Formats: sequence, C-alpha cells, structure tokens
Amino acid sequence: MSTWILGISALYHDAAAVLLRDGVIVAAAQEERFSRVKHDASLPVRATKWCLEQGGISIGDLDHLVFYEKPLRKFERILANSVATFPRSWRAFPRQMVTWLGSKLWVRNQLVATFGIQPHKLLFSEHHLSHAASAFLCSPYDEATILTVDGVGEEATTGLWRGTAEAPFIEPLAEVRFPHSLGMFYSTITALLGFAVNSGEYKVMGMAAYGEPRFRAEMDKLLRLEDGGAFSLDLDYFSFHYHPTQSYRPRLVDLLGEPRMPGEPFRPTAIAGDASAEAVARNQRFADIAASAQSAIEDALLHVVRAAHAEHGGDTLCMAGGVALNSVANHRLAKDGPYDKLWIQPAAGDAGGALGAALWAWHCVLGKPRAATLDRIDLGRSWARDQTRQILDDLGTTYEDLGDTSTSTTRAAEDLARGDIIGWFDGRFEWGPRALGHRSILADPRGADTKDKVNARIKFRESFRPFAPAITEEAADDWYDIAPAARVPLRFMLATPTLKPEREGSLPATTHLDGTSRVQIVRRSDHPHFHELITAFSGHSDTPVLLNTSFNLKGDPIVASPIDALATLRRSELDTLYLDGFRVPSPD
Amino acid sequence: MGRFRQTWIGLVSEVSWRLPGWPVKLLTAFGQAERGSFYDMLAAAEATDRPDLRRKYFEHALDESQHAIYFRDRVMALGGIDRARAAMEEAGALTSRGIVGGESLYERLGEIDFLAFVHVAEAEAIEQFSVYCDRELPDPETIAMLQKIMPDEKFHTAYPLHELEQRRKQGKGKQVDTALRRVKWNRLKEGWLRFSRDVGHVMSSVWLFLLYAILIPPFSLLGKVERGGWQAPRRDRRPLAVAARSQG
Repeated sequence: MSTWILGISALYHDAAAVLLRDGVIVAAAQEERFSRVKHDASLPVRATKWCLEQGGISIGDLDHLVFYEKPLRKFERILANSVATFPRSWRAFPRQMVTWLGSKLWVRNQLVATFGIQPHKLLFSEHHLSHAASAFLCSPYDEATILTVDGVGEEATTGLWRGTAEAPFIEPLAEVRFPHSLGMFYSTITALLGFAVNSGEYKVMGMAAYGEPRFRAEMDKLLRLEDGGAFSLDLDYFSFHYHPTQSYRPRLVDLLGEPRMPGEPFRPTAIAGDASAEAVARNQRFADIAASAQSAIEDALLHVVRAAHAEHGGDTLCMAGGVALNSVANHRLAKDGPYDKLWIQPAAGDAGGALGAALWAWHCVLGKPRAATLDRIDLGRSWARDQTRQILDDLGTTYEDLGDTSTSTTRAAEDLARGDIIGWFDGRFEWGPRALGHRSILADPRGADTKDKVNARIKFRESFRPFAPAITEEAADDWYDIAPAARVPLRFMLATPTLKPEREGSLPATTHLDGTSRVQIVRRSDHPHFHELITAFSGHSDTPVLLNTSFNLKGDPIVASPIDALATLRRSELDTLYLDGFRVPSPD
Repeated sequence: MGRFRQTWIGLVSEVSWRLPGWPVKLLTAFGQAERGSFYDMLAAAEATDRPDLRRKYFEHALDESQHAIYFRDRVMALGGIDRARAAMEEAGALTSRGIVGGESLYERLGEIDFLAFVHVAEAEAIEQFSVYCDRELPDPETIAMLQKIMPDEKFHTAYPLHELEQRRKQGKGKQVDTALRRVKWNRLKEGWLRFSRDVGHVMSSVWLFLLYAILIPPFSLLGKVERGGWQAPRRDRRPLAVAARSQG
C-alpha cells in the first residue's frame, strides 16, 4: 500500500502544494496558476484539489499533510521583535496582530477546516528546514553542504546544514537570525529602486548590468562581512524589522541618494536615448546602486560558502530560499566558489517549501531511504486535447489541428525562423517560477529588434530587462562559457554564463549588456518536444537557441489552462499560439 | 433605476469624489473589480458547457481586462499614490485580483445565479458610472473613459438578462426570480459584511495599539534585537515524532 504525503506552503507568499507517493513527486503546483493571483499566499485549495485528482486519491487517503513552517515560532519571533523595537514598532504591531490573531495563528484549525484532514495526520516542518530538504533530498547527491538563504522564516534568515546519505539526512550546523538577512538587504535596495518587494528583486538584478559598483563602500557599511563566513546588517539604515511598509530609514537615502520613483523610465548612459543629461545621471546612479547591491550580495554568498567549505569540506553545495533565485550570484558561486557541484532547487522560493516539507516528512520523520531526484519540472496540470478542441470550437477560433505536439515542432520552427513570436503551450505546466518550454513565449534570438518587439507588443514590461535563451544540451558548450558547477543549475535557468567571444553579436535578443545570459540548457530527456523544436529551428537558422520568456502578460501569473493561453493571445500581439498540437494564428 | 438608490449614490459620490485622494482610491477599486471580473468570466468560460455562453463569457472577460487597463491608466495619470502602491503597479499588481476563496464565482453560484449576478452587478456599475458622468464628478478624462466603456457594460448587462428571459420562457421563471432576489440580497449582505469587517478592523487596531502602548513598555526593557553573525541552531529536545506534530 502506498504512502501519500501532501506538502503545503502558504500564508506569506507563493503558496503551493506538492503530492508525494512513496517519496516520488506525483504533482506539484503553485496556487497562483489556478487562482490567477500573482504570488498568491492563500491556502492552496485549488492546487491541492488538483494534486489529489492527479494522484487519484481523496483527502482521506493522505497519510500526512505537512505544513512548511511552524507558525507559533514565527509568531513568537514577531512578538519578541515588536517588544525589542518598541516604540518604533507602533505602526507594525497592530497590523501584524490583526493578521496573526485573525488568521495566521490558527493554521492547524484552518488546515482541518479547509481540507477536511484529520488533525492527527498534520505535521509541521520548519521554514528553513523545508528549504534545506527541498534543496538536498531531491538532488542527485548523497552528501552535501546545504545553504538556505531568504528574507526570514521562523527566526532564521540563513541556514547552514549538512546533508547525509543516511538518517537523519539533514543536520543543522548554524544559522543567522532576523533581522540580519541577505534577502531583506536585497529587498530593501529593491524598494529604494522603486520596485515591489518580494516581486521586483530580479529587476534589480537586470538593472545591475547597466551600472558600476561605485557604491560598494556604502554597501559594505550596510552589510558587514565577519569572520567565519558570518555577516550582519547595520540596522541604523533599515526599518523593515519594525515598519509595516517602509524598508529603510532616511539615513539610507542620505547614504545612497534619493530613491527612484516607481515607473520612472530607466535611462542610464547605455540606453539614454533622448533623455536629459540630468535624467541620465540620476538613472546611472540607480544602475550603480543596483550593481553595488548585486556585487555585495555575491560577495556575501561567496564569503558564506567559502567559510562553510573551509570548515566542513565536501564538493557539493545544495541551495534553496528566495536568494537562490539570483541567477547572477549563482553563476558567481559556480565560477568562483569552492564547490565542484552545485544544485539549486528550481522552485527555490517559498513555493519550494511545500516540496521540502513533504520530502522532510517522508525521509526524516518516516525514516525512508532517498528515493528520486528532481529532473523534470513539468509537474503541473495538463489538459486533454479533446477538452482543448471543444474550447477552440466553442469560441469560434480559427485553428489547425497538427496532431500531437511533436508534429507541430516543424511548423513552429518555420514560424519562428520567419520572425514570428509564438506562444508555446505543451503538456503539464512547470514547477517553479521559470517557464522552461511548457508555457513559454518564444522568438528568434538573432533579431536586433526582437527584444523590443517582445517587450513592447507582448510582455509590456521594462525595456531594460533581458530575455533568456534556451539552448540544446548538445550545443551549449559551443555557444557559452559554462562553469562546470553551473551545468546543473542551467537546466533550470538558474545561472548566467557568458556568450563565447566568437559568438559575440549573434544573439542580440538574449544577450544582456554585460555579455551574460540567463541560459536554459534543454535536455532531450527532460523536455523532448521543446528540444525537438529548438533542433528544428536550428535546421532553419544554424542557431540551436530560442528566446524563451514566460507565457504571461505583465501582472498575470504564467498561463495554466488553454483558455488562459487563448486570452493571452487575444490581449497581446503574439503571432501564433501552439496549443498542445493545435496551431492558432492571431485573429488580427 | 430606483429614485432612492439614485439619490443615495449621488450623495455618496458627491462626497467621495471630492475627498482628497479618494478619486484614486475609487478608480483603483474599480480597476481591481474589473480585473477580478476578468478572471471570474474566464473561469466561467472554461467551466460552462454551453458553447454560446462560453463565447460570450470569453468576450466579456476580454472587455473587463481592457477596462482594468483603462482604470489603471487613470490611476497612474492622476498620481497621488504612495511609493509602495506605485511599486506594486510597476510589478503589474495594482489591479491584480484573481479567483479568491478556492472556488470561482461560477463554481460557487452555478449558471443561473451566475447570470443573475453578472446582470445585477453590471447594471449597478452602469448606474454608478452614469451618476458620476451626469454630475461631472471625476475629471474630464475619467468621464471620457467611463463613457468609452459604457457600451461594453450595456452588453454585459444585456446578454445575461436575455439568457434569464430565455429561461423564463422555458418555464423557469420562478427559479430566475429567486436567483435575482438571492443575488441582490447577497450583494447587500456582502456590502454589510465588508463594512462590518472594516469597522472591526479599525476597532481592533485601536485596541491593539492601546495594548501595545500599555503592556509592551515594561517588557521592552528586556527585549533585544538579535545580534548578527552565526548562531547555534535551536535544538528541539522533544522526540521528532512529537516535535513534528507541533506548531511551535
């Protein structure tokens, strides 16, 4: 008889559900894909319902439902911090207490009431333990050092762990506690640069390439590196630990200058256009702040892992937590870090906590041996072709039925080679924040104007942000300088190698200003249709690379269902939609 | 339109559009409602088994998406939003509202009640927008925007009404009347609950602030912000089987 475990993360951001059968992932999905609320934090009711359907079971069949953190310990930290920061916490305290006393404190009751689970089946992991479990227990490695880095969990913001082949599987080594947080440091700079916290951090990463780290000395005041791989924040510059909406104090503005107004066009020297000299100077300062923060966080991570390696040895590092989604920093770790092997769980943010919680229960609580590794990330929902055809017919859509997806790769490659921008919807949707060839917008990366076209006509996003290339595994080394340790993270688009010098200028749409790209290496075994499509495109262009960006419009979660995809086609200027083997041209 | 309701909307609007900062709040709320409606209509288009309705729901959804953009553009043009909200807008989240509560509106209500809901809600929106335009309460650009979306709103009211009328002809008049009554009653009830929740929120915030001001000071002398650097992890002395079941 099988053992079924459901892991859940929720109530902060990026709620998700993951179902394991005898330790093997059956289904994994973020709630936002179903609810269509970006970064949806509510209990993952629809994701859970679908996971159970996918497993062919009901809630009563579950052996355990595991929540990804311990809410009472988190509450304790919030109370203690409010007390410690009195009277400055006067704004945050009532707000936090209303939220906690009204809902977050009663997680057990909510889980029982919402899902109908029997209380004795409920387990509670810890936030960073869930991250650590998600990073190590589905990695291909028997032993590793594990680093978890994010904003904050219960108390910890950074955790160092040892992963072992046998029980206990994960042992805690050390932790850094709130408010000293690399995640909050980066989020504060994100807020200063006019982006939304917990959402706009990757824009800072994109902005950094336009600047020079000339504020590094200032960043070193904010984030101090200490002996033994430790670090701390100078809290005189920050207010996130006692203010509900403001992350930084006026001192930070004195140090780095006026903050950027959200929505202000970004016109640093490299893309000044017709902006005034004063605007260019101001924007260049923002780019330099971004570059300095990026440089500081890379150095901090290197500082941590070098010390960890010096003390604990080993050749493998596994990582999770929101900061592990910083692909530029990951590449630096792969290139300059002391570990030969690097594994980053693709849903490294809080959504991944659901996976970690479930794996922790299976291995650490139930004592089961290591089972399966996470290779394929198409773990979300798919739709039957008959169902899709019915929707297309009902909506009066003009389409061609090309058979299954594999036969449509030839046509899609032709469209792409002609310069079309296509929506690509193939089978189950991806686990994690990246579109890796199952819900993607694709284009020819060779066109100099492709990036602007995709930004302006389809994605409606900031023009400075780069697009990612997807390349076949066989061709990757011919095109990019890939650090050996970055090879595995690149399967999940989690590192940024540089285009080889002899290829310079050949992929303008996917090469960032600094020559790097957030590459996805596509293996045939992981994404057979996507691999086939890139190969077919290469037949037309001698370029085994496609521009690959997530299939959504600004503000929307990545599309999940055929009807989401059709609505996105109608609301944008996509040329064609390939929908599980149906070719749907744009009605315009 | 009932005279009482029209007068009530007029009075409230006269005040709300003149309060500083409120036009932005109202337009943001309308934008969010349109955005939420986009997702509700899309979910209905996916769930219904009636091909003709699927198409109408889909087109309706696309209209709502466009309206949400119009409202967002007005919000941004009028400015006056704080940094945090403006940053959310840049993230595309100012008008982000999807399917809340685990079930879509269509799944919760079923076809007839859903149609009744759409008809009633859209008719109320037309009433509100008409009052705003007639009394020239918003700025001229916003009035022009409201007038631009009005024909869409009329379609959004008309097709569900037509559907409900068809049901009446099929002898389901009683069911339709009940659905319309239920929807109107539920909207009133939800409005009241929202109001009560807001009042409750303010009251609890005041009480919690008093609690904070009175109870926390003595303890604050003992409280200390955590120091930076590595610390030994907290060791849980309980057996794993016990600790794993605990929320703390």
